Amino acid sequence: RTTCSSFKITLFYVIFYGCLAGIFIGTIQAMLLTLSEYKPTWQDRVAPPGLTHTPRSDKAELAFNPRAVETFLAHTKALREFLDKYDESKQKDQMKFEDCGDQPADYKNRGDLDSDVGVRKACRFSRALLGPCSGLEDTEFGFKEGKPCLIVKLNRIVNYRPRPPSSNESIPEEAQPKVQPNVIPIYCTSKKEEDADKIGEVKYYGIGEGFPLQYYPYYGKKLHPQYLQPLVALQFTNLTRNTDLRIECKVFGDNIDYSEKDRYQGRFEVKIQVEES
Amino acid sequence: MGYGKSDSYRVATTQDKDDRSPKKKKGATKDMDDLKKEVPITEHKMSVEEVCRKFQTDLVQGLTNAKAAEFLLRDGPNALTPPPTTPEWVKFCRQLFGGFSILLWTGAILCFLAYAIQAATEDEPAGDNLYLGIVLTAVVVITGCFSYFQEAKSSKIMESFKNMVPQQALVIREGEKVQINAEEVVAGDLIEVKGGDRIPADIRVTSAHGCKVDNSSLTGESEPQSRSPDCTHDNPLETRNVAFFSTNCVEGTARGIVICTGDRTVMGRIATLTSGLETGKTPIAVEIEHFIHIITGVAVFLGVTFFILAIILGYTWLEAVIFLIGIIVANVPEGLLATVTVCLTLTAKRMAKKNCLVKNLEAVETLGSTSTICSDKTGTLTQNRMTVAHMWFDNQIHEADTTEDQSGAAFDKSSVTWLSLSRVAALCNRAQFKAGQDSVSILKRDVAGDASESALLKCIELSCGSVRMMRDKNKKVAEIPFNSTNKYQLSVHETEDPNDNRYLLVMKGAPERILDRCSTIMLQGKEQPMDEEMKEAFQNAYMELGGLGERVLGFCHLLLPEDQYPKGFAFDTDDVNFQTDNLCFVGLMSMIDPPRAAVPDAVGKCRSAGIKVIMVTGDHPITAKAIAKGVGIISEGNETVEDIAARLNIPVSQVNPRDAKACVIHGSDLKDLSQDQMDDILRNHTEIVFARTSPQQKLIIVEGCQRLGAIVAVTGDGVNDSPALKKADIGVAMGISGSDVSKQAADMILLDDNFASIVTGVEEGRLIFDNLKKSIAYTLTSNIPEITPFLFFIIVNIPLPLGTITILCIDLGTDMVPAISLAYEAAESDIMKRQPRNPSRDKLVNERLISIAYGQIGMIQALGGFFSYFVILAENGFLPSQLVGIRLNWDDRSLNDLEDSYGQQWTYEQRKIVEFTCHTAFFVSIVVVQWADLIICKTRRNSVFQQGMKNKILIFGLFEETALAAFLSYCPGMDVALRMYPLKPTWWFCAFPYSFLIFVYDEARKLILRRNPGGWVEKETYY
Repeated sequence: RTTCSSFKITLFYVIFYGCLAGIFIGTIQAMLLTLSEYKPTWQDRVAPPGLTHTPRSDKAELAFNPRAVETFLAHTKALREFLDKYDESKQKDQMKFEDCGDQPADYKNRGDLDSDVGVRKACRFSRALLGPCSGLEDTEFGFKEGKPCLIVKLNRIVNYRPRPPSSNESIPEEAQPKVQPNVIPIYCTSKKEEDADKIGEVKYYGIGEGFPLQYYPYYGKKLHPQYLQPLVALQFTNLTRNTDLRIECKVFGDNIDYSEKDRYQGRFEVKIQVEES
Repeated sequence: MGYGKSDSYRVATTQDKDDRSPKKKKGATKDMDDLKKEVPITEHKMSVEEVCRKFQTDLVQGLTNAKAAEFLLRDGPNALTPPPTTPEWVKFCRQLFGGFSILLWTGAILCFLAYAIQAATEDEPAGDNLYLGIVLTAVVVITGCFSYFQEAKSSKIMESFKNMVPQQALVIREGEKVQINAEEVVAGDLIEVKGGDRIPADIRVTSAHGCKVDNSSLTGESEPQSRSPDCTHDNPLETRNVAFFSTNCVEGTARGIVICTGDRTVMGRIATLTSGLETGKTPIAVEIEHFIHIITGVAVFLGVTFFILAIILGYTWLEAVIFLIGIIVANVPEGLLATVTVCLTLTAKRMAKKNCLVKNLEAVETLGSTSTICSDKTGTLTQNRMTVAHMWFDNQIHEADTTEDQSGAAFDKSSVTWLSLSRVAALCNRAQFKAGQDSVSILKRDVAGDASESALLKCIELSCGSVRMMRDKNKKVAEIPFNSTNKYQLSVHETEDPNDNRYLLVMKGAPERILDRCSTIMLQGKEQPMDEEMKEAFQNAYMELGGLGERVLGFCHLLLPEDQYPKGFAFDTDDVNFQTDNLCFVGLMSMIDPPRAAVPDAVGKCRSAGIKVIMVTGDHPITAKAIAKGVGIISEGNETVEDIAARLNIPVSQVNPRDAKACVIHGSDLKDLSQDQMDDILRNHTEIVFARTSPQQKLIIVEGCQRLGAIVAVTGDGVNDSPALKKADIGVAMGISGSDVSKQAADMILLDDNFASIVTGVEEGRLIFDNLKKSIAYTLTSNIPEITPFLFFIIVNIPLPLGTITILCIDLGTDMVPAISLAYEAAESDIMKRQPRNPSRDKLVNERLISIAYGQIGMIQALGGFFSYFVILAENGFLPSQLVGIRLNWDDRSLNDLEDSYGQQWTYEQRKIVEFTCHTAFFVSIVVVQWADLIICKTRRNSVFQQGMKNKILIFGLFEETALAAFLSYCPGMDVALRMYPLKPTWWFCAFPYSFLIFVYDEARKLILRRNPGGWVEKETYY
């Protein structure tokens, strides 16, 4: 190969790839033009929503020793960071936030997605609603006492309106008292029946001890930048020590499904071990 | 019998000790070199007494039993030693680990290694590498088994030689005749053979009675040769007093002393030589090796580049190593081994239908690469059947029809002379048709009798009707059979006319001997005195026919005067009591083994395909040259040195050898040639005939051609051809007439014995080479859209666009049928009009093919795939801008609220489903762009519009791959089994623009390529 011919072929490839890049960018741009600004074309993969908890950890295992701060430091830090945007001080702007009441209410409709209304107001959600798990009084979220808090949220989905369960059929008996209007109930229990009594009492904090409907629908990042999703705090007040406890939390609703493969769709499982010597 | 020219041909002898091969490395090679030399027999030149003394035997009593036992112990049994056989498992392993498989094995091992690293360092290792490793292993093992069973049938050379060896032998020991097992025969044994026996060892004939042997297995010439105690030639193969192991004694009886047994016999040497020859790699194997080098080069280059990149980007060493392995393995075209094997098998099947049976799969292509064909004459180019070709009577040469189907021109049969000639030929003839063949056409009937007489019999039967009736009407009263002293054959018959009591004497024999006995000659039915003018005319005709390489016989007759030989005269044939001179000369008939009808055409086609056809024969130079001219091996107008000398009337030494394009080389000259002289001849003469060659010389000729870089095909039918058949790049044996040994030594068998089938083989071989190129180009192209996703996954940290399983679905699923269908593609131009490929320049896979497949089409395909990938992610909420760098979070199992561009939160499993949908879409996109690739790969130069879409298998392939893709995407359960998900209908169309782009781009490229032959586009992109 001479220098001249290698120059020629290099030049050819530079031009060729240049053209290809142009064509590719062109088609990508054309594709982007077909997308809506407010709502993804398809939502069948993201709904039904996932149910996630903070703090999270690898393999959903929370093992800590109330006496040793370092064993739960990361968890409390994650909780503090997570709740940071739920500070009342950050929800003061009347232009961006509005009160939606602290009792469960119906969906709050703020117009169609593509109407000209523009940016929508968000419902306030004060962390104070989470009681002992708000981190306001107890900055260690109960970890120090061996009564850890978990903060649970339903994943955001644009224009998604979770429907409360219309019948009690699919809901376990113990959870049925939690069903009330305008709330998506959440109920936690031990995964293994024999551990039922080892978990002790689980306390629920939040509006209606579940996910109230007035926070839905979500209008998407662009129209609803300040949106705060409703939270539920769980506090395990009487966990048996030094035991691996598998706890499953589930939300119930007509349009909430569970999947065998997806362990976070409408439910989650968490393993907690409180070590104490 | 009288030949046109006397057979004073000196032949390659034996005792010379030329050190032609200085490079004797090991004992084995030395042995082989030794075997390639001529037979070291000297006993034929000794007197019988000397031979007896040498072997401590007695001419009457034979060996003593004690001596025989001693010799048996010393020399071993009289049997052919089989070569050390390779055990079956070694052969199997060779199939399993040879050539292409090595690449896949390396890939598989790397996969397992990567999996081991992952398993050791991660808690939940991804199973991809493990699956890939298992699949690769499975692919190699399955294709390995397939090829093993394909080839398991072949190579039983030694067994076939053994079938030629007789079981029993009649020896004389201590004066008693004993029938012993042939294996127990030892040197020095006195042996007796009779007609129908096989000769149990090489023997020096001590006495013979009308003994004739058929040496065809050694020389290829089927004419029986007589044996006598006298040494008639220096060359042991030519002399009359040696008979060879495993040849047949046709008639008569003989006694002789065994001089060689077992592997030391002439036949044993050929057998050992044949079975011991190492054959080189087939051209296609060489090409595949070259291809593996290229692919490995590309793979390692990419792997190392990205390994370094990964390190720079801050990945850990282990991760980088996993990437390195992943990239190298991704470059392995998993399906190609199977594709190539299937393509070759299909072609082999197709060739078998056209009467070319291919024994070794790789040999399918070899004929296509062949640049030289060394062809045996007898039985390959010729019909191996003496046929009357010319007649001379009425002072005129008449041509007989020699074609197999009697389609040639007939001569004038009305002359009275012809009637007389045919009567002499019919009556003075001991040959007769074997019974029960009335339904068979005359030419195909079996005849009892020697070749010349059979030829005459058939000729007369054809032109004058039943010879039997003629013989019945003319009862034979006396006969003197042919013998070598008289050189004539004579018989006396009654005449047809019952009122005519005269006897008719008919005689045939060597023309000059016949002429000597004639005083008159028959012209237009009238007897005229034989004057000088007529003698001159006779000489000219004799010379002319002899010059055509034909065997000429003279015929004469005489009606014996009734007064001297009244009815009932007692003819005494021992003490001839009747007139045998002053006869009336009737005419000459000349015979030749004529070329097969299809051969000249086939030779012409080979020549126009740039293939040099060399004739290598054991026959005499004149006959060889005549046949060579007849079939076009020496084409019209081309002269040998001797021809030029004769034309210019100057001595041969004054002719510039460069002026002669053709040459005829005698075996005895061949042995004196140095390697350089040999090369010089092969290089500078386009039309070569080797005559009087021994089996060893045939081998040397093949090696000479190969040394000059030619890819050599050898055609042959005899045992004597087997070393050359074995050594050739492709040995072609004859299916009907060929000996078992030759078939075993060959790679290909022409089932119909038709040399023209070779042309089919060449055509198919060239076609499959072209089509394999296309098939490989097609298969390799999809490698780029398979690798690039992984590369981008590493460098820009996007979710993986295409997974291992989907890659395997392409390589071993959708790509298979289309790639194979390209084997059915018709040729783009007349492949028989171009030169054979140059093995050093025209490669199966070259950098231009890689450049097109990887650099151009593959890149467009990758873009098509990436486009679908981005479309799916964007339509689900992840815009391209957000994807870069998302990988760590994306693949974090504990992160179940990953935000997309719209603020939605995704669980791990939800986004993984989207990712796998992307894999499916990427996969479908590759199928879509492969449609276009398949169509463009149909041709390398022509437009698809010129080529047409006539390949039905290819169209089937298009539908099949689409259907398979749809099945994989939509079949319920695929999400669990292969992690493939149903696609929205619109996603199928994402890659369409790219598919179209590929088609337009390549059509444009080929248009420019056609418009500017030899231009830059051709130089850079024509593969």
